[in-house]
Amino acid sequence: MKQYPEILDALYEVLQPFVGEKGVVLSEDTALVGDLEIDSVKLLELMMEIEDRFDISVPINVLPDITTVKDLALKLEELLN
Amino acid sequence: MDLDTTPTTNTLPFRAADFSNLAEALDYAAQGVTGCNFYTGRGQLYAVISYERLRQEARTLARRFAGMGLERGARVALVAETHPDFLRYFFACQYAGLVPVPLPIPISLGGHQAYVEQLRAMLESCKAAVAIASTGFLPFLREATQSLDLRFVGNPGQFERLPESDCPLQPLQSEELAYIQYTSGSTRFPRGVMITQETVMSNLAGIIRHGVKMGPGDRCVSWLPFYHDMGFVGLVLVPVTSQVSVDYLGTRDFAMRPRQWLNLISRTRATISFGPPFGYELVERCLRPEEAARLDLSAWRVAGVGAEMIRPEPLRRFAEVLAPSGFDPRAFLACYGMAECSLAISFAPLSRGLAVDTIDADHLAKYKEARPVPDGGADKDLSPRTRSFVICGKPLPDFEVEIRDEQGRPLGERQSGVIHLRGPSVMSGYFGEPEITRQTLSEDGWLNTGDVGYRLGEELVITGRQKDLIIINGRNIWPQDLEYLAEQQPEVRTGDALAFSAPGPDGEETTVMVVQCREKDPAVQASLVSRLKQRVRSELGIDCYVELVPLHTLPRTSSGKLSRSKARQNFIETHDWHAPSVVAGDN
Repeated sequence: MKQYPEILDALYEVLQPFVGEKGVVLSEDTALVGDLEIDSVKLLELMMEIEDRFDISVPINVLPDITTVKDLALKLEELLN
Repeated sequence: MDLDTTPTTNTLPFRAADFSNLAEALDYAAQGVTGCNFYTGRGQLYAVISYERLRQEARTLARRFAGMGLERGARVALVAETHPDFLRYFFACQYAGLVPVPLPIPISLGGHQAYVEQLRAMLESCKAAVAIASTGFLPFLREATQSLDLRFVGNPGQFERLPESDCPLQPLQSEELAYIQYTSGSTRFPRGVMITQETVMSNLAGIIRHGVKMGPGDRCVSWLPFYHDMGFVGLVLVPVTSQVSVDYLGTRDFAMRPRQWLNLISRTRATISFGPPFGYELVERCLRPEEAARLDLSAWRVAGVGAEMIRPEPLRRFAEVLAPSGFDPRAFLACYGMAECSLAISFAPLSRGLAVDTIDADHLAKYKEARPVPDGGADKDLSPRTRSFVICGKPLPDFEVEIRDEQGRPLGERQSGVIHLRGPSVMSGYFGEPEITRQTLSEDGWLNTGDVGYRLGEELVITGRQKDLIIINGRNIWPQDLEYLAEQQPEVRTGDALAFSAPGPDGEETTVMVVQCREKDPAVQASLVSRLKQRVRSELGIDCYVELVPLHTLPRTSSGKLSRSKARQNFIETHDWHAPSVVAGDN
């Protein structure tokens, strides 16, 4: 059983490499596509990191409804519990 | 319960797609022991469905369809996940006399609305009577069908509660449609390619007998999407109609863990697998030499490459990295095709590997003639600017091919023009689009492929596209879809944007959009550029280089129409993509 704050912290770590030199400070409101410029190739890298880190499988149908870090963390919470 | 994969060796005499329809092909395959196997992203076998079971289950579903009293040939839209259910429902349609329409799956974040609109456009275009998706994708389908009048929208569980009819099944016959394919349409203005049973069967026979020369002992592996012509016709229908076993990995699972593709080939000792060049590049980038030594790819005799322009370099690196696995570079099989011809048009000779024609690039641009450069341009000082193209082989025997100039006159060898072809595996047209069909397919059966290339002896070399299609990572992107996104912005009006692709800094296709902008304020301009890039990324999942230009500077054709090809040419001439700063800058 993992709690939301814990998931969020882990997610920040996973996302850090995607920040690169964009000067974005990660928060719940960070937009994955808008702020972190995650295209479909980077998205797959991100999903792999997440699946390995949390040991889950993220179904492909949840992606269209994820825009922000918060959306993603909430979805992970749902998948993990 | 432990699952066993279906065997490679069959108990049935091999037949090469000499059937009159797909149902009959499955009837035959069902008498053997081969079938389809599905693996998770971590390489675990999770479903096995032999052709025998596939036939049984498809027929049961077909009886439920029969009970719905749909008119013959009614369209059944299927959201095409890599899952046994897609095969069950696809063949159920074949047995029930209904036309299946595979629908795509998005791989991008936050694209909910765009996906729903895409589904709705396709469902409207094909006038679907039934639409089926897994539980995970059903909400999108429900939203997309809200204002549409369908007989049934649901998931397999709900469909399977419908009663079975005891009327005898009447499978689709040779002159009837086999399926409608939306591979080649833009997302907003989809075009459904209509392929009849005899059309697809002729192409399948060509692939099996001539292109890949399949036989007993062959086995396929595929991660290609089921809604794509290469994944669907090539790696679903080819295995069924040649009675060989096939191992499937989901497309997303492959893209996340590209090594799984090779692990699977190694494990099942598969002989045939296809991918776009991008797929080979993904693997090559992540594979370490010590991993290659643990794989056994010595049985892999056909490593098909197609679906986009083939650059030889990444494939050479792939072969080098994989040398310790026993991968034979002669297994590379360059091919050329499109959904409008069912799938395949030409294949390079088997066991040749990649063959390249190096030509004078300036001469080609100026005189439309592919003049070979001696020594492949090895002497840099003496040689002109060169380009190397992979030779895509001889057209399948049933095709007539002509390379034509702009006036429609047939051209000779090494003369570059638009590829036209005629033959039994050409589509019947675009569903419900007689006007667009007439522009593409002549009354006497010649298809304008929209691709540009030249003949080299009997072989074809593809050099580019006349139509403005953009292909990124094996995916077709229509410039109209990008331009539409631009025109949605308050600063941009209709006709202010042109999108096209240009070779990027490392030769890869890069998407470019040039937008006329009335705003002078640099802050507003920067905001427009970043907004556009973001919309493109979330709707289409690709990166796009956006350039703002002053009003009235977009190029036009002599008849006054905006010209993407001229914009593309201007862009290439004025941008030195070899200077990385152009790409890495603040754009």
